[in-house]
Amino acid sequence: MIFMDQFVISPSSGVPIYKQLLSQIERMILNGYFAQGDSLPSVRQVATDLDINPMTVSKAYGLLEERGYVERLRGKGMIVAKRDEEVSEKEKLTMLNTMIKDLISEAQLVGVSEQQLLAMFVEQASDNTDVESQNTQGKES
Amino acid sequence: MTAIIKINNVAKSYKSQQVLQALDWEINEGDIVGLLGKNGAGKSTLLKSMLNLSEIDDGSITLFGESHLNLSTTVKSKLGYVPQENDEISWLTVNELIKFRRQFYTRWSDEKVDNLVDLWDIDLNKEMGELSPGQVQRVLIILALAPMPQLIILDEPAAALDPAGRRLFLKEIISLASEEKVTVIFSTHITSDLERVANKVAILDQGKIRYFDDLDNAKENVVSLSINQHDTDITVPHLLRVKQQNKRLQCVVSKLDKQWLTEMEKQGVDVVVNPLGLEDIFLEITT
Repeated sequence: MIFMDQFVISPSSGVPIYKQLLSQIERMILNGYFAQGDSLPSVRQVATDLDINPMTVSKAYGLLEERGYVERLRGKGMIVAKRDEEVSEKEKLTMLNTMIKDLISEAQLVGVSEQQLLAMFVEQASDNTDVESQNTQGKES
Repeated sequence: MTAIIKINNVAKSYKSQQVLQALDWEINEGDIVGLLGKNGAGKSTLLKSMLNLSEIDDGSITLFGESHLNLSTTVKSKLGYVPQENDEISWLTVNELIKFRRQFYTRWSDEKVDNLVDLWDIDLNKEMGELSPGQVQRVLIILALAPMPQLIILDEPAAALDPAGRRLFLKEIISLASEEKVTVIFSTHITSDLERVANKVAILDQGKIRYFDDLDNAKENVVSLSINQHDTDITVPHLLRVKQQNKRLQCVVSKLDKQWLTEMEKQGVDVVVNPLGLEDIFLEITT
């Protein structure tokens, strides 16, 4: 069973709540946090747990179903669907691409140039690699 | 979709001031509608007019297909109303008031009353006059919900409630919305409450319903576009306002034209879409 306390809803955001819910569930399915066959809680359960309109939850579930992330099983409600590895791989990249696009727009808004952004990116990435290699060394010793 | 409320060409003035004019509005069954408007925009007048608690000068209103001037007992029993001002008898205890009101209804859920009294921590033995504004508000909401109405009209229900009380109230609206085919209209100043529970948002401005749409549509359509200043010769459709910021133009539009956006992308014009929260949307539409 998937529990809803993993989700964060920001009602005052300009992003509609159904989209917030949709992208969080999508992400959790793509990164394997939710496994195939896991069942999603009922619309009513989510609505009362998160204090949001049930129609909003239905809308997010409907879109997840349309996109093949979940399927409706009689008597079991919504469960995480079996996914094609190749498609999942593609979707992961699409998801990252969207996040990168958002980051670029954000940088433009605050007046950070593309070169600066790229430099920041490289720096962060190398920091991450350092931490990772330290971790592996730590494990070995 | 059946329209539960139909408002046609309604006008209302107080002395020389026109409050509502040529107002048209339809609300469908099952909708949870949040009504926004500045102070003095006429939200209370509009809600009271629907129930004929305030007389209109012109136009017509129907509830469940019947004129609001002449409602049958059947339709009346489907209505629940929470007024902004409390005019309940102050020397009755909560328990006495509930018993008093109960006699007028054929349908009344003691279970609902008991549940809410318990959940909302209400002292049944206190007199209405002794209660804090927040507690009075809770009692009024319980009285309105007890007959299990199908249309619930609430005038600023959350105004007197603290954050915890508001959350409990929202939970009740959500459970109503998922249980039955209940239609709810509530006026409010607290946009974040509206954003949680409403599926529709209405904005009353200058005597009319200036904006009425799905809340999701409002957020997807009323947006701010950030455009590179080199591209100032382009025409932005549905433009509400332009502002200059950081060498870019910020254009607020009332409707995002997706086709136009694709066209701009093709032409290499740099347009970034920034969503707006409901509070900003409200301010953009009313100013």
